[in-house]
Amino acid sequence: MFRHILYKLLRWIPSVLVVILVVYALLFFGAGDPIRLMFLRMPGDVAWNPERIAAMRHELGLDRTFLAQFTEYIWNLLHGNLGNSLLYQRSVNDMVKVAAPVSIQLALAAMVIMAILGIPLGVVAAVYKNSWVDHLIEGTALAFWAIPTYVAGPLLVIFLVRGLKLMSVPYGWEGLFSPKAIIPLIVLSLRPIAIIIRQSRSAVLEVMGEDYIRTARAKGISNYLVMSRHILRPVLTPIVTSLGLVIANMIQGNILLEVVFGIPGLGRLVAVSTIDADYPVVLAVVLIGSFLVMGTNLAVDILYPILDPRVRQTQVGGES
Amino acid sequence: MTEKDIPQITTSGLLNAEGLSQDRKYSLWRDAVARLMANKLAVISLALVILLIIISLIGPYFTPYDFLSQDLSARSQPPSWAHWMGSDYLGRDVLSRVIYGARTATVTSFAVVAVSGFIGIILGSLSGFAGGRVDTFIMWITDMVMAVPPMLLAMVASVALRPMVAAWMERMYASTGDTFYRQTFWADIFLLVTVLTLVLWPTYARLIRGQIITNKTKNYVLAARALGITNSSILVRYIIPNSLGPVVVQLSAGLGSAMLWESAFSFLGIGVHPPIPSWGNMISEGMDYWRNSPHLLAAPAIVLGVMTVAFSFLGDGLNDALNPKQWSD
Repeated sequence: MFRHILYKLLRWIPSVLVVILVVYALLFFGAGDPIRLMFLRMPGDVAWNPERIAAMRHELGLDRTFLAQFTEYIWNLLHGNLGNSLLYQRSVNDMVKVAAPVSIQLALAAMVIMAILGIPLGVVAAVYKNSWVDHLIEGTALAFWAIPTYVAGPLLVIFLVRGLKLMSVPYGWEGLFSPKAIIPLIVLSLRPIAIIIRQSRSAVLEVMGEDYIRTARAKGISNYLVMSRHILRPVLTPIVTSLGLVIANMIQGNILLEVVFGIPGLGRLVAVSTIDADYPVVLAVVLIGSFLVMGTNLAVDILYPILDPRVRQTQVGGES
Repeated sequence: MTEKDIPQITTSGLLNAEGLSQDRKYSLWRDAVARLMANKLAVISLALVILLIIISLIGPYFTPYDFLSQDLSARSQPPSWAHWMGSDYLGRDVLSRVIYGARTATVTSFAVVAVSGFIGIILGSLSGFAGGRVDTFIMWITDMVMAVPPMLLAMVASVALRPMVAAWMERMYASTGDTFYRQTFWADIFLLVTVLTLVLWPTYARLIRGQIITNKTKNYVLAARALGITNSSILVRYIIPNSLGPVVVQLSAGLGSAMLWESAFSFLGIGVHPPIPSWGNMISEGMDYWRNSPHLLAAPAIVLGVMTVAFSFLGDGLNDALNPKQWSD
């Protein structure tokens, strides 16, 4: 197992270095001049003063060659320093430290909602397989899965805030337990819940066909015990994978949500800084996003054999 | 192959026991169409998707108003007989803009699926057939692209490449004088197709590679080889037709997701730019007026929502119709 982790990490580092290089080069050569973007926001006479622009550029070290700047970036990165934002002159480390908890709280809360609602609904759909209950649950889940954040969010706001007048405008962030977080959380959970429902439904169906379930029933074990002891345990494995997917998608899934609801998390941070070509910030979030993808894949690999002993053997056999 | 698969293969084999070699590949599709038609939701969705395509082809010639014509005396009107979906803050007819938005969505999604599917299929089959170093290299690239959340990568690429595309269009205009190169719409579409292809091709490449590698080792390929059939005709007659089902499903799902990508990027302001209507940028503009004229937001949002749900049900129906082996549950 230790070798497996090490192997994954060793594979991840070169790929992520190439990715950083590509993203850095794309923004460096393509995105236009960050200094010019900064000056464009200042009053007219300052904006096109070439001397001030040159001085500013020199001060930030942006007049050096690509290679020099890139090496310095990597050097800082190895020391845990993500650099400074070009636009706000703030340390990117600080910006990430402020934004990350917001996104993490949202993702964790959404995961809890998903597990509480998704698993039981999936089990119910499997138990009443092919009845109208099953079709209703599956159809609704598929529909919710398809609706994007920037459709569900605004429509819910119109319906709940303007139509039913149930709550105030959910724009901004006042902590996870404030009423403002309700609509964003609903919207954030809609898509993944559908995945959990489908996963747990098909997992339960697969397990219900196994011989040991028939044996358990033949022994006269009550339905409830069969369900809780023999069916739900193996069902956990695919569900863990889906939950992992949610974490891996945390930044990506939050971009649109955080833009729609003005939530100051990592998603909005990256959306805003991408459009402004503030590349130290973009690189930091890309790095975190890539680490999350790799890390959750790894975590799922580690958890799988613990949850499902059958995997242990195939993994030992198959890893050569 | 598990025991569960065997009955289905034998039944479909028995149905066309005579004339095996010619009829078999058609029967797969005929069965699939029959199965698809039995699925009511999928049929309704298919009808909606076809309607969308027709509207985006001919709709712009039948819109009640021009999508740019402003009527400042009739601003922010609620839906009425004159304006079925109301009018926006500049007095433009929302229905006409939604119809033009359908064209934006359709053009982008077909182009994205065509280009990324083509590149993915070529590189994926190359990887699957050649194996060895070619395979390792191509898979390493897909690994790398997939190591970054796709939306982040596409956003970065879109921002970085925009000045280049703009400069190229400007140069082409200077040298040819063709006003085509002055239309920001096509620059936006070109950029979207490029960046979305960049992040989407690995999915197709991996799928095709997996299909080819599994089918290569199947017994019927071995049997064909034992009968002395040449490699190329094994490829054309056995491997490709048998690999196609999941690819068709993926391509149709790709249409829906490309549409979503387009509207998401336009929503964020890095896709299709106003005044050209896209459902995404209409939602984004409508969000400023949601309290007083919610129809500006609701109209494009509902249309986009209905279409994404339709694509999703259609993809699901196609999946059931073309991959009957998954019927075990």
